[in-house]
Amino acid sequence: MNAPAASAVDANGAPAASRRETLWHKALWKLRRDRAGMAGLAVVMLYFLAAIGVWLGWWATGWAEVAGGKWEAPSAAHWFGTNLIGQDIFARSVYSISTAFEVGLVVAVLATLLGGVLGALAGFFAGRFTDELVVWLMGVLDSIPFYLLVAAIAFAMAGNPYAMHVAMISTFWITTARLVRGEVIKLRQLEFVEAAHAIGVPEYTIVFRHILPNTLHILLVQSTITFVAAIKSEVILSFLGLGVKDGMSWGLMIAESTIEVLAGFFGNFLAASLLMFGLVMAFNFLSDALQDALDPRQVS
Amino acid sequence: MQFAARVSLGFTAFLAAVLLAGCGESRTPAGDASAGRKVYRHSMDEAPSSLDPVQAANVYANHVAINVYDTLYSYKYLARPYELKPNLADGWPEISEDLLTYTIRIKPGVHFIDDPAFEGGVGRELTAEDVVYSIKRHFDPATLPQGAWLWQGRVAGLQEWKAAGSDYDQPASGLVALDRYTLRIQLAKPYPQLLDSLAQGYAAVVPREAVERYGAQFAMRPVGSGPFRLVSFDTSRILLERNPKFRQEPVDLEAEGYDPATQGGYGLERIAGRSPPFVDLLEMDFINEPSARWNSFTKGDEVQYTTVPNEQLDRVLASRSPVRLKPEYEERYHSFAAIEAGFIFQVFNLNFPEFGYHPDPGQERRNKALRCAIIKAFDWEARNESFYGGIGEVYPGIIVPVVPEFDPDTPRDSITRDVEGARRLLAEHGWNAQNLPVLTYGTTGSVVMRLMFEQFRAWLKEIGYPTSKVVLRQYATFGDISRAWKQSELPWIAKGWGLDYPDAENTLQLFYGPNGSPGSNDANYRNPEYDRLYEQASVMLASPERTGIYRRMNRMLIDDCVAVTGLSRKRIHLWHRDVIALPDREIVGGFFLKYVDVLDKPAAGGR
Repeated sequence: MNAPAASAVDANGAPAASRRETLWHKALWKLRRDRAGMAGLAVVMLYFLAAIGVWLGWWATGWAEVAGGKWEAPSAAHWFGTNLIGQDIFARSVYSISTAFEVGLVVAVLATLLGGVLGALAGFFAGRFTDELVVWLMGVLDSIPFYLLVAAIAFAMAGNPYAMHVAMISTFWITTARLVRGEVIKLRQLEFVEAAHAIGVPEYTIVFRHILPNTLHILLVQSTITFVAAIKSEVILSFLGLGVKDGMSWGLMIAESTIEVLAGFFGNFLAASLLMFGLVMAFNFLSDALQDALDPRQVS
Repeated sequence: MQFAARVSLGFTAFLAAVLLAGCGESRTPAGDASAGRKVYRHSMDEAPSSLDPVQAANVYANHVAINVYDTLYSYKYLARPYELKPNLADGWPEISEDLLTYTIRIKPGVHFIDDPAFEGGVGRELTAEDVVYSIKRHFDPATLPQGAWLWQGRVAGLQEWKAAGSDYDQPASGLVALDRYTLRIQLAKPYPQLLDSLAQGYAAVVPREAVERYGAQFAMRPVGSGPFRLVSFDTSRILLERNPKFRQEPVDLEAEGYDPATQGGYGLERIAGRSPPFVDLLEMDFINEPSARWNSFTKGDEVQYTTVPNEQLDRVLASRSPVRLKPEYEERYHSFAAIEAGFIFQVFNLNFPEFGYHPDPGQERRNKALRCAIIKAFDWEARNESFYGGIGEVYPGIIVPVVPEFDPDTPRDSITRDVEGARRLLAEHGWNAQNLPVLTYGTTGSVVMRLMFEQFRAWLKEIGYPTSKVVLRQYATFGDISRAWKQSELPWIAKGWGLDYPDAENTLQLFYGPNGSPGSNDANYRNPEYDRLYEQASVMLASPERTGIYRRMNRMLIDDCVAVTGLSRKRIHLWHRDVIALPDREIVGGFFLKYVDVLDKPAAGGR
C-alpha cells in the first residue's frame, strides 16, 4: 500500500515531525494507543458517571430504605438481593461508588497538592532548613504504621466524618513529595532555572511558576495511584469501623457480609467486591498506562 | 552451591514440619493437666476483666466468682422461675417482725482452699467475720468496688463506716458477726431483695489474709471456698480444677426444682445423690466471634457448649416455635431454649426539651405526642426478625417475662406498629418535616448496631421524619457510649438490661426519679406518683398487692410514652450429648457449672 506523501505519522507510527510536538502530545498519543489503559479509562468514566448520577439524585436514592424482607434472594426488583434489614444491596453498592469517588478525589487531590508543594520546596531548598524539616516530617510519618495512625486520628477527632480523609492525606502525600523532591533537585540545575535566577525572579515564583509545572507528569501519575490507594484504604477502614460514619461504602457492605455469609447469603460480599474490583483494576490499568505514557525516557 | 541447596531444602522441610505440626494440633485444655481427668469445656463470648468479687459486675465475672467462691445463698439449679436456696448459709435467716433484722447461720466446717496466704499454707475455716469483711470491701474505695449499690442506704451503718475511713478493724453497726457462725444484718428499711443480693458474685466470701497478701494481684489470684480453684487464667481461657476440700452436699434433684416433663432427656438423674463438683477440670474458653465459637463447638473435640448464633438459626432449627432442632443436630447435641432474664429497650432522654420536659406545658404535650408517634413507628416484629432470629419475645412495658410479676394480658397497642396513627398524631400536634427536632442516635461502631440505626431511620422516614434529622453519632467503645448515657448527652438511648435478681423491682428502678443521670434512670423520668409507688413497693415482700403496684407503674410508663419497649431474647443453648447439664447464663450466671458431669464416652448416637 502506498503511503501519502505528507503522512501525519512517521515510519514508526509516531506523530510527524511537521506538527508542533510537545511531550504532552506524545504522551497523549501513546496513551491512546494503550488498549488496556483506554479500557481502564472507559471503565473509570463509567463509574464516574454512576457517581455523578448518585450525587445528582438520579439513582440509588433508596439505598437507606427498607425495600423488602430479610436476606431476599436476587430478583428483578433486587438484583443482588436484600440485606439483613431488607435494604436493596444493588442500590447500596451503586451509592457506594459515589463514596469511593468522593474519598478518592478529595484524598488524591489534596495529598497530591500537598506532596507536590512540600516536595518542590524541599527539593528547591535542598540541604537547607526547609528541606530538612520536610524530610524529617516524612521520616516521622513514615515510621508510624498507617492503620495505627488512622485509629489515633479517628480517636482524636472524636467521630468526625473527615477523620479518615485527614489520616489518609497526612500519609499519602509522602511518596509524592519524595518523587517531586528528587525531580526538583534535578530541575533546579537546569539552564532555565539559572536564567530565572539571573534576571532576578523571586525564589518562590521560580518554584511555583517554573519548576512545579515541570513535575506535572509525576503529579498526574501519583494522583491516580493515590486515588486507588484511597479507595482501598477507605474500604478497609470502613470495614474496621474507622471509615465512613453516616453513609454507605463497600467497606461497610463487606463488614455487613461477615454476619450473613455464615447464613449462606453473599449479596453484600459479591456486590461490594465485584464493584470494587472493577474500579481498582480499571484505575490500575489507567495508572500503568499513564506512567508509560508520561515517562520522559519512553516518550522521547 | 549443592551444600547451600541442601541446607536450604533441609531448613524448608524443618519449617514445613513445624508448621504442619502446629496445624494438626488439637486445642487440648491446659496440656498435661487434663491427662486422665474428667474435663468439661465451656465457652463464653467475653472474658472477665477481674476475678475479684468486688468487681464482678457482669455475667462473665460472675461465672467465675460463684464457682471459686461461696455465697450465702444461691439459685436452685433447675427451678424456673428462679428460686433461692441456702448455700453457705445454714438454712433460711431469722427475720424480725419489722423486717429490719436478719440473723443468718453459716455452715460450720467450710474451709478455704490451701494457699500460702494462710498460716502453714493450709486453708482455714470460713467464718461469719469473713462475710462481714467481704461485704465491707464494697464500701472501701481502695478496692474499686462496683457492688455497693446492692446494700447502700439499705444495710445500716455501712455508709458511716465508709465515711469514717473504711477501717476493717472498726465495726459497721448494721453488719455484725455475733459469733463464729452467726451473722446479723440490720437494715435501715425493709429490703425484700436482701437474700437475692447475697447470692450475687458481689457477695462472694473472700479471706482477708489473701486480699492483704496479694494486693492488686488478688484480682487474678482467687482464694475461695467454692467448688473449684484456679489453675490458670488469661484473656482466651480460664482453667479451674475441682476443689478437693469442697463440702459434701449430695444433690437432691427434687429440691433443685427438677421437672421430669421438661428436663427429663438430659440425663440429670445421674447426678442425684452425688456431691458436686463432678468434673476434675472446668475450662472456659472466651471466644468473642460467634462463628469461631460455633466452629469450635461443632468440631467435636473442643468446646462442648455454645449458644446458637442468629445467622445459624435457619441451618440448625427445624422449627422456631416451638424451638426444635433439625434431626442431624438433635442427634448430636442436647438443646434448651430459654428467654433471657433481661430485655432490649430504647428510651427518650426527657432532659432534652426537644423530646421531654419543657417549661411550656403546651410544648411538653406536643413532645409527648412526638414520642408516642415514634413508638408507633417502631416495628418490633421486624426488629425481632432481623436481629433476634424472630424467636425473641416482644411485650409491652418493662416487666420482663421471667419474673412472676409479668402480666401477659397487658394491652399490646404500644408494641403494635401503626404508621397511619403516628402520622395523624404528628399532624394533630403541629409537627412537620420542618419543625421536627434532630434526633441524635448514639451507637458503637459495630455492624449490627449500625444496621439497627438504619432500620430505625427508615421507619421514621415512613412517618415523615426527614432522614437528615435522624443523625448517627458513633462511639469507639461501649465504655464511651455508656459515659455519654450517664452524662445525659443523648436524647435517644438504645440498650439492654440483664436482671440482677428475679424481681420486677430491678427493672422498675430504671425509671425511679432519684436514679436519674448518672444513675440507672437514663430517661430521667420524673413522675412523683411513680416514685411514690416505687418507694411503697420497694419495702414490700412479694404479694399480690405489690404485683398490682408494679403493674400500675408499668402502665404509667407505657402511657407516658417514655420508652420503646421491650423484647427479651431467646437463647438456644447447645451442648454435646456426653455432657450432663442444663446450662444457663441468666441471673448471676454460671451457678449450674458445679453440677456439670461428663460421660466417660459419648452416649449412643453421639459424636
